[in-house]
Amino acid sequence: MSTPRTSATATILAVARKELLDLFRDRRTVLLGLLMGPILLPALILGMGGLMEQRMRTQLESTLELPVVGAEHAPNLMNHLRSRNIEILPAPEDPEAVVLEQEHDVVLVVDAGYPDDWRASRSARVELVHDSSRRDSDIPMSRIGTAIQEYASTVGALRTVSRGVSPVAIVSVQAAPRDVATPESKRGMLLVFLPYLLILSAFLGGAYLVIDVTAGERERQSLEPLLATPASRGAIMSGKIVAACAFGMLSLLLILVAFKVSFMFAPGPLAQVDVSGPVMAQLLLVLLVMVLIGTALLTLISASVKSVKEAQSYMSVLMLLPIIPTIILMINPVKDEPWQFAVPFLAQNQMIMALVRSDPISAQQWLIYLGAGLGLALLLWLAAARLYHREKLAISA
Amino acid sequence: MIEVHDLHKTFKARTGPVHAVRGVGFRARDGEITGLLGPNGAGKTTTLRMLYTLMSPDRGSVKVDGLDFREQAAEVRARLGVLPDARGVYKRLTARENIAYFGRLHGLGERTIAERIETLATALQMHDFLDRRTEGFSQGQRTKTAIARALVHDPRNVILDEPTNGLDVMTTRGLREFLQRLRGEGRCVIFSSHIMQEVAALCDRIVIIANGEVRAEGSPDELRARAGEQNLEDAFVRLIGSEEGLHA
Repeated sequence: MSTPRTSATATILAVARKELLDLFRDRRTVLLGLLMGPILLPALILGMGGLMEQRMRTQLESTLELPVVGAEHAPNLMNHLRSRNIEILPAPEDPEAVVLEQEHDVVLVVDAGYPDDWRASRSARVELVHDSSRRDSDIPMSRIGTAIQEYASTVGALRTVSRGVSPVAIVSVQAAPRDVATPESKRGMLLVFLPYLLILSAFLGGAYLVIDVTAGERERQSLEPLLATPASRGAIMSGKIVAACAFGMLSLLLILVAFKVSFMFAPGPLAQVDVSGPVMAQLLLVLLVMVLIGTALLTLISASVKSVKEAQSYMSVLMLLPIIPTIILMINPVKDEPWQFAVPFLAQNQMIMALVRSDPISAQQWLIYLGAGLGLALLLWLAAARLYHREKLAISA
Repeated sequence: MIEVHDLHKTFKARTGPVHAVRGVGFRARDGEITGLLGPNGAGKTTTLRMLYTLMSPDRGSVKVDGLDFREQAAEVRARLGVLPDARGVYKRLTARENIAYFGRLHGLGERTIAERIETLATALQMHDFLDRRTEGFSQGQRTKTAIARALVHDPRNVILDEPTNGLDVMTTRGLREFLQRLRGEGRCVIFSSHIMQEVAALCDRIVIIANGEVRAEGSPDELRARAGEQNLEDAFVRLIGSEEGLHA
């Protein structure tokens, strides 16, 4: 339905301009919508990252308190442990109870037969009592385990030397781990939540605006005069989608800038996260696809429901959608394969992770990503446009 | 000129189909004010909605300046100025911005829009509140804004659904003068009302609608003669066959 007087582009621009003007007149809504994300999201990610790192550092560097049962049986081992910044505490009455009640993370029990075994050059037994279901005990356990291992191999080496055997002979195979994680990808581990937060902001960031310009306008009964103008319904709807996308992109840009700034001031490895201009531009391009899909989907929903309330009740379900691939990847990690870049949400997740980890993205991956994403947005747009032509749309009951 | 021929419209409702409009037909000429008079729920709004192509009828046709409302829907809407039942003025925009927005949707240039706003604001006496946001406007100010918005593109044909609804006496008088001015400019004006005096004071032709059907059509004098009543109100009651909704 084109008219000789109004071009579709002019209509789209006029509608988008009006919707943005209308929205920005509503100062409080705009401030909340634009500033909450940029303030809260970096705080969330940096706070979590910082907390995690701080805990690790204190556990690794501070003096570790270790209650020992039967310390008198192994005075040399105790001296070795002390040299590794481990303080030996007197024995508790019930080692297991102390661990279960979380008074101490680990308790060392030296077997009563230790001195005899030691003198006979047999393997002497010590026990480490800990609760593996408490993540807190991971670092103390590995510190104590490593210290005992060191002591054991030193003494073992001395014993073989004293018997005229090379200590190397008893190590028949040695596994040397070689970590291929780049510094960039290690940082990526700290940022597991970043993709979800960004995808969610892109997907639903402009939700209230989208719902308001279709379902809200219908409820306020201002859609009827609007549709009585010669402007085509498809163009009017597109103008509303353009306005919502512009707002969504502005809010994402602010979020990314907030991340860039906060990463610069962040302690530890986050400080080196690469949020350079080109990376930001690529992130925005990746998220633009999500914004388009989200806006078109919400327009479709808003045009099909009877009221704003009904449209809003879809939100709780929609909020869960972006987290599904994250959960699936957590449970069942899959290799990067081309099809992943065609699945909504999963594709965004992979692309953002790749950008944050500074992994290369091939032209083919970009092509699949953009093709599939924009194709889906176009389908949703066409479906929404069909609904916009329904007679019921203009008339609120 | 608007020609309406045999319009039918049925709605689906929970209790079964509702035949809201059954065979409405009339002709509204240029330079005349045509009044659709009928009680509440007679099918006036539905009929008007079909005229401005918001709804499509199950049967029948509408021609605006000779253009078919199905094949040339956008062109038909471009020739109509429409004040719907729901005014739908945007409350965060000023009156001027509301009018300008619709001007752009009609494809007018910014200069034309400014000139039209000036003309309409003078004619409707809107200068006091033209640059205020419409939130908090009185009913009269809102209606004036909506009317100016409907007429921004200088349409030949004007359709007004219950324009005087909720207005005080002074505003109603001003609006009446404005409608007479539109007629004087040779436009085709259709307006609907359930208020007898309103229609009697203003209309060259009256179409009486009740229960989705046209009960009578003609000038006020013709209607009086046909009903054999001296008083138009009595004629009206006779013609629709009951007093229902007359004083709503």
